[in-house]
Amino acid sequence: MKPRLGPRPSETRQQPGSGLSAAVCGPLWPQPLLEGMPHEFDSFSSSPAPDFAAFPQTLLDQQELLCGQIAGVVRCISDISASAPALVRLRKLKFAVKVDGEFLWVLGCAVELPDISCKQFLDQLIGVFNFYNGPVSLAYKNCSQEDLRAEWDTFIEQILKNTGDLHKIFSSLWNLDRTQVEPLLLLKAALILQTCQRSPHVLAGCILYKGLIVSTQLPPSLTAKVLIHPAASRHQRRPAGGGGPQERGAALPPNVRIMPVFLTEEEATSLREFPREQAASPAAAPARLQQCSAQQPPHPQSTSAPTDNATGHVEPTAWMLAATPESACPDVAWPDGKGENGHLPGCDLENIKPAKLHSPARDEGPGLGSSLVKELHLPWGEEEPDLSAIHIPEAQETETSSGYFALPSTGAPDGGGPCFEEFVRDSGDPAPESRDAPPVVMAISSVLSPSTPEMLSQNGALEQHDDLPGDSSQAPFPREDHLPGRTSRPRSWPCSDLRQSGTALPEGEQGVERSVGAHDSCSAPGGSALPESQDDNGPSADRRDPGSAPASCMGLVPTNLYTHSVNGLVLSLLAEEPLRGDDAAIEEVYHSSLASLNGLEVHLKETLPKDAAASPSRTYNFTHYDRIQNVLTANLPQTATPQDRRFLRAVSLMHSDFAQLPALYEMTVR
Amino acid sequence: MKCVLVATEGAEVLFYWTDEAFAESLRLKFGRSENEGEELPALEDQLSTLLAPVIISSVTMLEKLSDTYTCFSTENGDYLYVLHLFGECLFVAINGDHTEDEGDLRQKLCVLKYLFEVHFGLVTVDGQLVRKELRPPDRERRVQVWEHFQSLLRTYGRLREREQCFAVEAVERLIHPQLCELCIEALERHVIQAVNSSPERAGEEALHAFLLVHSKLLAFYSSHSASSLRPADLLALILLVQDRYPSESTAEDDDPQPSPRKPRSSESIPVQQAWSPASTARARRSSATETDSFSLPEEYFTPAPSPGEQSSGSTVWLDEGTPPTDAPQVQIAEDTLQTLVPHSPVASGPRRIFLDASVKESHCPMVPHTAYCLPLWPGINMVLLTKKLKEGQEAGTTLRSHPLMGDLRQRMDKFVKNRGGQEIQSTWLEFKSKAFSRSEPGSSWELLQACGKVKRQLCAIYCLSFLTTAPGRGGPHLPQQLQDKVQSIMQEKLTDWKDFLLVKSRRNVTMVSYLEDFPGLVHFIYVDRTTGQMVAPSLSSSKRISSELGRGPLATFIRTKVWSLIRLARRYLQKGYTTLLFREGDFCFSYFLWFENEMGYKLQIIEVPVLSDDSTCIGVLGGDYYRKLLRYYSKSHPAEAVKCHELLALHLSVIPTDVLVQQAGELARRLWETSRLPLL
Repeated sequence: MKPRLGPRPSETRQQPGSGLSAAVCGPLWPQPLLEGMPHEFDSFSSSPAPDFAAFPQTLLDQQELLCGQIAGVVRCISDISASAPALVRLRKLKFAVKVDGEFLWVLGCAVELPDISCKQFLDQLIGVFNFYNGPVSLAYKNCSQEDLRAEWDTFIEQILKNTGDLHKIFSSLWNLDRTQVEPLLLLKAALILQTCQRSPHVLAGCILYKGLIVSTQLPPSLTAKVLIHPAASRHQRRPAGGGGPQERGAALPPNVRIMPVFLTEEEATSLREFPREQAASPAAAPARLQQCSAQQPPHPQSTSAPTDNATGHVEPTAWMLAATPESACPDVAWPDGKGENGHLPGCDLENIKPAKLHSPARDEGPGLGSSLVKELHLPWGEEEPDLSAIHIPEAQETETSSGYFALPSTGAPDGGGPCFEEFVRDSGDPAPESRDAPPVVMAISSVLSPSTPEMLSQNGALEQHDDLPGDSSQAPFPREDHLPGRTSRPRSWPCSDLRQSGTALPEGEQGVERSVGAHDSCSAPGGSALPESQDDNGPSADRRDPGSAPASCMGLVPTNLYTHSVNGLVLSLLAEEPLRGDDAAIEEVYHSSLASLNGLEVHLKETLPKDAAASPSRTYNFTHYDRIQNVLTANLPQTATPQDRRFLRAVSLMHSDFAQLPALYEMTVR
Repeated sequence: MKCVLVATEGAEVLFYWTDEAFAESLRLKFGRSENEGEELPALEDQLSTLLAPVIISSVTMLEKLSDTYTCFSTENGDYLYVLHLFGECLFVAINGDHTEDEGDLRQKLCVLKYLFEVHFGLVTVDGQLVRKELRPPDRERRVQVWEHFQSLLRTYGRLREREQCFAVEAVERLIHPQLCELCIEALERHVIQAVNSSPERAGEEALHAFLLVHSKLLAFYSSHSASSLRPADLLALILLVQDRYPSESTAEDDDPQPSPRKPRSSESIPVQQAWSPASTARARRSSATETDSFSLPEEYFTPAPSPGEQSSGSTVWLDEGTPPTDAPQVQIAEDTLQTLVPHSPVASGPRRIFLDASVKESHCPMVPHTAYCLPLWPGINMVLLTKKLKEGQEAGTTLRSHPLMGDLRQRMDKFVKNRGGQEIQSTWLEFKSKAFSRSEPGSSWELLQACGKVKRQLCAIYCLSFLTTAPGRGGPHLPQQLQDKVQSIMQEKLTDWKDFLLVKSRRNVTMVSYLEDFPGLVHFIYVDRTTGQMVAPSLSSSKRISSELGRGPLATFIRTKVWSLIRLARRYLQKGYTTLLFREGDFCFSYFLWFENEMGYKLQIIEVPVLSDDSTCIGVLGGDYYRKLLRYYSKSHPAEAVKCHELLALHLSVIPTDVLVQQAGELARRLWETSRLPLL
């Protein structure tokens, strides 16, 4: 059976020259497994239909050859060394490899990506797959390959689009740039999560805005799984009438989905260990936000009804689109700058989601619909706050001079607590940021920098920060109290549109307003489809039920993922299995969070800057990596200039060393 | 758990080497499936069985995808495989004990390839011919060839692990200007001139002569007509000498397992008297002492604290300068002067080697030389390099009968001269127009075939001229008595100094002399990449010989640190970074590479090329990176002579960065002055 690899515009859309070449072999050889011939992956020539999720850079027969050869070599190496290779490197490609029983996972990356990131990335992918589908062997038994392939496509599509060069290096999460957000809102998000935890069955959760983390109670590995949605997968593709209406579907409140997911044993244990009432890790953070609240009048608490949001929510979404750099999606005509040209909303949509919206067989609820859009596009938006971060260091320069730069502490954290942050800056221009986590790693790479001693003496001003991280509970709000200038608008925001169309959009708002209509219209039809979409949930969930029992035997714990989307905002909660059958509990969660979510959404939309583009006059690059939360702050644009490439190269090298040498705490390269 | 394999595309083993642990793991693997008593397949066959799929897959990938494997690593880096394709031969290095990283393995492969070149010259250019050399059909001969390279690899591994000069791949000189000068004079007058004026020299011309104390260079002299010797070639020669006459520091601390080299001498090769069989009576006397002490490994040879009755004719030295009789040093000498007797007398004759030279201003790769290694005392060797005045004339008659000879004779010159660069193409064109019909050009395939044939013919002629008539195979060389003569002259000259030299080689540079001026400095290595020489405080590699840091865990720790830092610096240099500062735990490591002009003024730094992970390594022995770097830099500075230097420094991490950088500058300045001492 030939792997199906039709033309997929969405897959080839990834940035050329980006770190990830995106060759993902799904599990190889599901076929022989079904035929009762496991351990068959050693054959060199007759490869029985490897299942490629996506292999955009290689031709079909090359893919087969590649998979066959790699599988054979993996077998051979395992024979000699008594352990399977974890990494296979070619001259132009490298593959992270994982042998999982009869299955072989292979992920191809560009050679520039550090080995360690490549392996982490594969682990993350496997984690996501298992999270939504259970153990791979069961998934391939229970679901059609077609479905799984579609699901892979979605995962990979999302990941490719959302993952910038730096994110690839650090395998970091897509986080909202907190310097751009009113801290009270973060507090509010944390409170929402805590409130939800009081409801029965709910373990912990996170809140995402346009695919970016606003607040999370989950460990980074788990947050990563929740971040990626199998939105366009079989969960939605099932024909509307197919499964028959489920008792569950009718009872779910609007915009809410409950999916069966699978946690690993450790994840499950760690979630259950927390006493729920006080589990909220971000809870500790709010205390530290008081200073900030003084700076800005608190926004009115969420009073807006869900309906009010109908118009409100579109704006940020449209803006997201506007902010999306062309490079991320070269084959799509962007609504952004061309809003002026009167682009039809439908057109935009079509370009954005080529296949999915048009298939009549795929009914999508409003929540799904909008989340689809978000998942497909917001992730680009994730770049946007990052880009805007360039202004932060400027704002902080005064802080720097007043000694607010922090901290290489002596600390080599012992094996137990990897609490490093890596902070990489590329310039002679010192614009350090203050950070909370104490051992900060400082690295400078610069071509135009002055002599080394000078540069270093500037950094010599680093002082130890008294604010020890202790536990990760403070983590979600690391910088708030040091950022007085957060609310100030960046002076100029050269839009990405400028680069694309040459049309000047002096203020991002213009384009945004125009696209509002576009979005309204796209979400409206979705609303009518609401009931069906919930029906869809049922069958897929039910169908998998038989699989979930054995799943627990294989080290995975069935759990429920409750998601509630309010426009760009998604509340994701992990809950014990009984939640699905407990209507009262669902109602409780829903009503306890609904109003606050709406309010949060409106405020986030208002607070976040409206456009994103790299300032052309960047004189330096910086990257701050928080190893505890696995999040990044950087000022690198989506499309890397040669200068940025150099920076990325340095970051890759340094990150590899920091990851391998626990006692390393400062590094300078030139 | 180490293994190296060289194979053809068809998975035929051209060469292999394994350490004991790896061989053992193979035995376990194959032993189980075989019946008891049944003989296991030969090691080479086991290896080829195991690795054939990888080799074939690698070739397939190259054909189908024009990309091929460069590296595999298993979980936690337990096993590391590095693959490198040189021409038609696939080189594979495996490590299963975490002692080498990818760079090390790749370096090892490059060094192995370089050693092949040193031994076979341009024959390595042709896949088929080099196959015959590396895997002679005659089994006994094959065993001999393989054992020779296996031993070289082992020696290389040992030197790289233990000697700083091999870790950074630069020659370390014994710092003693006065003695150096005297030696140079002796080498000039009593060796080079003596040989070249001797009527018995059999057409050989002595070009270079140098003295080695262990792996350190004491003095070097080149005749006026000789072109300079590349640092890489000098290192390779030191490696060859160390392989033939291993000194105690590198050999004695070998793994507790029985040295894999020993059985070999008892296999088929008659055990001759270990020390140079033809040396003078005096040398024989001392070698007898050595042999005795060797048979009782726990008692080590202790030399007489002062030159005794053996030093008969040493007046020359006494006239010009008395060897220092520094009491503490002599005392130290007692624990340092353990020496080993060479294991392998078979290779002790003169040897054909191929070194780069420039002939009439143009660079000639792999010019045949004959190397004579003349041991003076254990640990002290003299090496003499000669070149045949008119090499290959004896083969003339055989060559003349060759069908293509008339043409090829001239062409060979051109081929050799122009190898490397676009000129090869013009040579091809020329060949095409002359060798084939002048009116109609042949098809490209035909031309390729023809070119391949020409290449093979050239290589065959080269092989015939330089390899089959090599001194090791009975070819012409300096007569034994002439060798003996220069050997005994040098022994006489140096006899009063020998103990001092052996101690000095262990305490060449001491950290003590730097501590006062550079507080916080723990260790440094300074390399002049233009001359390929390095200076570094001695770090003892032996468990028995203590260094300034003692011989406990601290010394071991610092050693490990230094070695890992060398790797680190290499990796960053490969990626184009010339400055590195690295604070880890209690130590701070800094690395600088810079260019300067003849006067020592620092030149502007340029962007160094960024190399891929699978490129040949940053090093000297396997592809001289620094030479290329210098050439690259010189392009932007055509007017002046450019020098390239490296400094690796290890400080305590309490030292602030500005102090550290200042110290590094100061240190470099001071070392620059020392390195100005004349060598020639």
